[in-house]
Amino acid sequence: MKTKSLVLLVVLLVVSSSASVFAAPFDPDTFVYVGGAGGPHTLDPAAAYDTASGEVIHQVYDNLFEYVGGNLDEIGPQIATAVPTVANGLMSVDGRTIRVPIRKGVKFHNGAELTPEDVRYSFIRGMLADTAGGPMWMFFEPLLGVQTMAEVIEMAGGSGDFAEISEVDPAILRKAHDLVAATIEVDGDDLVFHLVDAYPPFINILTKGGSWASILNKDWMVANGAWDGNPETWSNWYDVAVEEMTAYERANGTGPFKLTVWDKSGGQVILSRFDDYWQGPAKIKTAFIKYISELSTRQLMLRAGDADAIYVGQEDLPQTRLLPDVKVVEGLPQITNTVLFYSFTIPVQGNEDLVGSGKLDGKGIPSDFFADVDVRKAFNYSFDYQAFLEEVAHGAGVTPKGPIPQSLPYVNPDQEYYTHDLTKAEEHFKKAFGGELWEKGFEVGIVYNTGNNTRKTALEILEFNIESINPKFKVNVIGLEWATVLDKLRSASLPVFVMGWLMDFPDTHNFAVPFMHSTGTFAGYCGQGLIDLAKAEFDELVDAGIKATDPVEREAIYYELQKRYVDLAVGMPFMEATTHRVMRDWVQGFVYSPAYSANYDFYTVYKVQK
Amino acid sequence: MLTYIARRLLFLPIVLIGVTLLVFVAMSFLSPYQLVSSYIKSPEELKNQSLDDLVRKYGLNQPAHLRYISWMKKLLRGDLGYSVSANMRVTEAIAKRFPATIELALFSIIPVVLGGIWLGTISAKHYNRPLDHISRTFAIIGWSLPDFVFGLIMLMIFYGVLGWFPPGRLSMWADTIVLTGDFIRYTGMNTVDSLLNGRLDIFWDAIRHLVAPIITLAYLWWAFLLRITRSSMLEVMNKDYVRTARAKGLTEKIVVNRHVRRNAMIPVATVSGSMVLGLLGGVVIVETVFDYKGIGLLTATGAQQLDYTLILGTTLFYGLLLVATNLVVDVLYAVIDPRVRLE
Repeated sequence: MKTKSLVLLVVLLVVSSSASVFAAPFDPDTFVYVGGAGGPHTLDPAAAYDTASGEVIHQVYDNLFEYVGGNLDEIGPQIATAVPTVANGLMSVDGRTIRVPIRKGVKFHNGAELTPEDVRYSFIRGMLADTAGGPMWMFFEPLLGVQTMAEVIEMAGGSGDFAEISEVDPAILRKAHDLVAATIEVDGDDLVFHLVDAYPPFINILTKGGSWASILNKDWMVANGAWDGNPETWSNWYDVAVEEMTAYERANGTGPFKLTVWDKSGGQVILSRFDDYWQGPAKIKTAFIKYISELSTRQLMLRAGDADAIYVGQEDLPQTRLLPDVKVVEGLPQITNTVLFYSFTIPVQGNEDLVGSGKLDGKGIPSDFFADVDVRKAFNYSFDYQAFLEEVAHGAGVTPKGPIPQSLPYVNPDQEYYTHDLTKAEEHFKKAFGGELWEKGFEVGIVYNTGNNTRKTALEILEFNIESINPKFKVNVIGLEWATVLDKLRSASLPVFVMGWLMDFPDTHNFAVPFMHSTGTFAGYCGQGLIDLAKAEFDELVDAGIKATDPVEREAIYYELQKRYVDLAVGMPFMEATTHRVMRDWVQGFVYSPAYSANYDFYTVYKVQK
Repeated sequence: MLTYIARRLLFLPIVLIGVTLLVFVAMSFLSPYQLVSSYIKSPEELKNQSLDDLVRKYGLNQPAHLRYISWMKKLLRGDLGYSVSANMRVTEAIAKRFPATIELALFSIIPVVLGGIWLGTISAKHYNRPLDHISRTFAIIGWSLPDFVFGLIMLMIFYGVLGWFPPGRLSMWADTIVLTGDFIRYTGMNTVDSLLNGRLDIFWDAIRHLVAPIITLAYLWWAFLLRITRSSMLEVMNKDYVRTARAKGLTEKIVVNRHVRRNAMIPVATVSGSMVLGLLGGVVIVETVFDYKGIGLLTATGAQQLDYTLILGTTLFYGLLLVATNLVVDVLYAVIDPRVRLE
């Protein structure tokens, strides 16, 4: 017994004394960012359209332009040598021809020198590869006035509704290729874009932060199995599964970091410094992006110094602020909007859990419940915006004045918006359905996706206020799994739902389309009623807004769009959230830009021991 | 015995087809737009996404039986499909994640089984005396504690405070060597591969990362084994042959070790078998807390995201594992107790 105790004591002493050996030493050459669950979807810029993918692509590739210091108001050249404007003669007066001089002496990670043809290939190949649900619509829209490659095939005389692209006549495929190929040409050391119409934010689409506009090395891509530029064969690479795309898990960019490995099973990406980077090497030699779902584990890693920065959700920020040697940078502006949507035409059959009886009888709602503008206005007046902002969002954001975030240009600062006013809500409820609604009451299910407690609380605020107006009003807050939400969105079966939109590029148009256009992302989820309304009230103005090159004209258009949206109470925008970053206090050189998918630009960060 | 094994193995394909069919039938109740959620994982990813295009592209609109036939055809070619949640082929995902789980199971099973049997033996030997109560209380606390809570406590103490046992499978410096250097992956198990590569530093690092999950798993499972061992031993202790052994004047140590414990081991072997199976199937919570990316976490993530190719692949794999483990346990019965005959 004594021997056993002695052995145990010795082991304990040895282990205790070696605690200092285990402690993570400060390493100024390595930066570790630990994100939440998940990871990149793909590293191919032509298909990547999520922030985790964009985070890696940001470090590995360059774009033609960049936001100077992350500031959205100032665009500077990156791989280009100048930013085209009408004033410097690189943009035609009608905005349809844009010439971009390409920088010389820029090297790819494999040592090859970048040429204008690499830039052209990157964009043409991206469009021809157009993956379902991918980001290339941002090229199609300005360059060809369509949204997808299938629509280009239609332009070429084919049918866009094909099951397999191999069914399409090769002559039409060739013509479709030519249409795409003609949009960008190489002219000496310049690249020339031919736009179908003026498109003011086109330069933004090509600017750093837009992973879709990353520049690839043509020869390297072709050597690794990508399309070789042959106009007859492009369809072999059209809309293939993302994992079959050439740059899915390998990369050869001109960015400050090389992709060392994307360790999918280990949930991490390792990047190493590119010493020949044309702007000079980064201060950090190695960067890790790790994906760990458990917050406590991330926090412990930050405390131990194994992580330099971690992801923390807004709701967990209070406890994180208490961690020693950690700095929390808060109030970082985002260009985003969270909106409560109403479905104008709700299917009744099979949707009883949300619409009850499907009639205006106090036990449900009719299909056209939210088609009545007074119902929508009453809902909008019932929400306590201030309480939500202060008590739920902990002040991390502002209340919007419409669907366009206030930090974008052409937002009317004097636009009147809804406030929490139960008297006005009552007035509108009394007017709705000719007074019948007030007499009979209603019962409706309003939905959030489970796990999103902020949205749940927002809906509970609405529930509480509406039910306090009339005892015959019954609102049920229902949590559904994301898969079910998606299914019901597709059939526009959700009477009320909450959804956010984070910008692709910082322009008003990027919010006007999804929120107001009849072909926008959200119109389809809100029923035919909203599509019809959008066609009548918004489409013409939205289309005019993007074609207008005169800022005064654009301002007038977008002011009018916002006014109509608010007057018609199409939805209830209720939160423009700010964001934050949590890092060790030794992290320096942090540059933030709302345009970046990357939480940290590894090129600028470095570490100084305190 | 060989006939028995052969017969059990012959049933294997039927069991596996049955299991996958069951999963497919269950999945067929989901609409294509529910299944597409594995490609659009959150509302934030719902950007200009044409759900119909995605459904068409991934064949989610095909009738379930056609999808099953197509899946079976691929299976016969050894292809379990692509997992969108793991970002790799299902076979590759299993091949990469399972060694981590085997490693954890191998290192865990010894302290789990030996500790559980030891505690059970002490309890039985000191039946209704203080030592019995103490060991049972100690183990039952472990059994009652949610694994999530105990895991976090372990992580807090051994990593947060002492800095000894970090989460993950390897430290970042070791990961860099293993993933990018000349390090050869023989088995996918870091401890084994590091020894085969002659890297004791990586071996030591891998062990450091295993300690906390092992302690957590061991403590959580001891009560279970203690109970089985204790009751089984108490039953055997009252047998005539034990009384005879004592009457012969054998020491208590010999009576317990040779006559009681060995005969009490059959139910323990059964439970240990299912424990091994449980460990090999992955321990989701422990893997989550300790960021130990094994097959449990892989499966759980796939299930949460309705990644049906991964769900089917791992189900098939688990089915195989279940049948194989049960077979091994049955064979072990015969080895432990010669009275058991396999027919």
